[in-house]
Amino acid sequence: MTSEGPPLEALARRLAESPADFLTSSIHVTALAADLLRDLGQQTPPDDLWAMLAPTKGRGAAARSAANRLQLISLAVWLLSDPWFARNATSASSVWLLLAIGLDPLAEIIDATSAISDADRREELVRFILWSLELRPAGETHAQAQDRLTNLDSVERVRVVRETRAAEERARQIREAMAAKAAEEAAASYGRE
Amino acid sequence: MHEQPLTDQDRFPLLTPASQRRLHGMWEHPHAPRFNHRCGDRLTADGLKKVRAFEAEHLKHANQTWRDADTPAWAIEYARHALANTPFYRQRGGRAEDFLAIPASTRGDLARAPWAFVPDDASLDDLIVYDTSGTTGHPIFVPTHPVASSMYLPLLRGVLARHGVGLDGGDRVSIVLVCAQNLTYTFASVSAYLEGAGYIKLNLSPHAWRNPEDCVRYLNDCAPEIYTGDPLSFLELAKLPLTHRPQALVSTSMALLPGLRAELSRRFECPVIDIYSMTECRLIAASTPATSEPAGLELVAHDLFVEILDAEGNRLPAGQRGEITLTGGRNPLLSLLRYRTGDFAALDFSGPRPVLVGLEGRPPTRFLTPDGRIVNNIDVSLALRELPLAQFRLHQSQDGSLILSCRDVEHHRDALARPMAQLFGEHAPLEFEEFDPDADGKVIQYTSDILDAELEGRERSYQHVVWRGAKLP
Repeated sequence: MTSEGPPLEALARRLAESPADFLTSSIHVTALAADLLRDLGQQTPPDDLWAMLAPTKGRGAAARSAANRLQLISLAVWLLSDPWFARNATSASSVWLLLAIGLDPLAEIIDATSAISDADRREELVRFILWSLELRPAGETHAQAQDRLTNLDSVERVRVVRETRAAEERARQIREAMAAKAAEEAAASYGRE
Repeated sequence: MHEQPLTDQDRFPLLTPASQRRLHGMWEHPHAPRFNHRCGDRLTADGLKKVRAFEAEHLKHANQTWRDADTPAWAIEYARHALANTPFYRQRGGRAEDFLAIPASTRGDLARAPWAFVPDDASLDDLIVYDTSGTTGHPIFVPTHPVASSMYLPLLRGVLARHGVGLDGGDRVSIVLVCAQNLTYTFASVSAYLEGAGYIKLNLSPHAWRNPEDCVRYLNDCAPEIYTGDPLSFLELAKLPLTHRPQALVSTSMALLPGLRAELSRRFECPVIDIYSMTECRLIAASTPATSEPAGLELVAHDLFVEILDAEGNRLPAGQRGEITLTGGRNPLLSLLRYRTGDFAALDFSGPRPVLVGLEGRPPTRFLTPDGRIVNNIDVSLALRELPLAQFRLHQSQDGSLILSCRDVEHHRDALARPMAQLFGEHAPLEFEEFDPDADGKVIQYTSDILDAELEGRERSYQHVVWRGAKLP
């Protein structure tokens, strides 16, 4: 069930006005994300913050795709720094799940710079982030929001939406299972490590 | 998922009447230690089938290896799967065909986000979690599977066979893992893979036993095929007047120095095998009878690709020292793709299989308390493991004073002082220092200026001590 979020236009405008610094390679995405999460009430950064958002030392295509993902995450942080989110008690853990893994499928198909310069991509990113946090743009019904999210471009978007949900759900399941099992006895191992 | 404590049926799905009798015998032996834990192999019929299939595959591919500068086709295939199906590697990007450009991952990455290393297609039904202090002392929670734990045994059996030693299992105790530390889990168990043979983990520390003479009687009665342990626990084992002679001693966890290895071999009249193993993927390499000094450890697993990388992530050619980096393994719940181990060595390709030369990573260290007790590095790691430290270092000077250093030390001072006082005593001379782990590259976490022989002389609670060069009792 979705709740009503902020107006789409306001967020799209915020995205269009993203500080240029947010797309540079020197930006510290980890620091930005930690600040955002603190603003949303999570005082201690998540344990996996650095591992999930660290700049990669890879080369070539690997480095480019990893950098694009981090740029997209930076833009999401900028967007979610809109005061509306802190004012409306947006869940820090949901935001962290989105930043840590939820944007991965989208990062495979959209270029971060186009998410600022291209109006359709801007709207897409805004809708995607709202949807991921179970919000809908102000003034839209749930059905309208869902319809517009997946119809912005192509069948590919439907796949992205599905994969994102699955990836977030999977991450949640693994973390829960590991937390439960960490306290449980394991299986015998036959030497010390 | 088990919401309730495990039952014996959960621990030992393949328990037979005979192995159940053995289990009870080990627990209820009149000289048994105060076991403080229960643990089984958790191997189901399907799991056992997988372990046997792995063994067959291992035997079939025992001679499969690679040459310097090569990347075997199976490792490229493994990379392709990991890049597509494991969140962490998918995010970092890369192409299997361009293997050398795939970004390396680290123990720090795994420590911080273990969930992201679990492949999308792995079932979570049989997930178990091991925790390890690692070289940084910071706990790493490693997701794994009972099948992966038992797959250690066929590899170990292969290593033992190289030394002319069998691991027969069946109606006996096959393995005793000896520890010598303040606190550790201890239990008796049986292994379905070893046809119900016994496996015991115990602590040689006197407080783990009801009577002082129980330890020797119990070990002599158990008469294990092999002992596993670490150099420090074997040092303690060697002090006991044991009459039983094992087939082999298998040392892991810390560097086994050549002098001690030779002395232990003389003392127990059996091969002493040095194994390089990590919680993340278990057995990696082992000493062979032919391995000469300085110690070289031969890679043993057919499903593990090992590279040596420099600090920038470039693969180094044979003979050059760098960080041991792993791809592959057999843990279905943990993908290892160019995974930096934090340990350093060079690779030598002159023999039938690649050999790690000059392995350096976890030198064993013992510290002395003001009242003459010995505290080993495992105890320190355990005592400080819950603290949120990325890395720390402990040094003891000749005069017994201790310096504990870590990043942001002022912030941690009070939290560090408590467990240190519990370990070393309230009046231990302890100072805190700020420490920049980036300043000097690889961190040797534990160091002491007190020579081992001297340490032993100053220690009050043990009668005999031996280390490097001195004779074992």
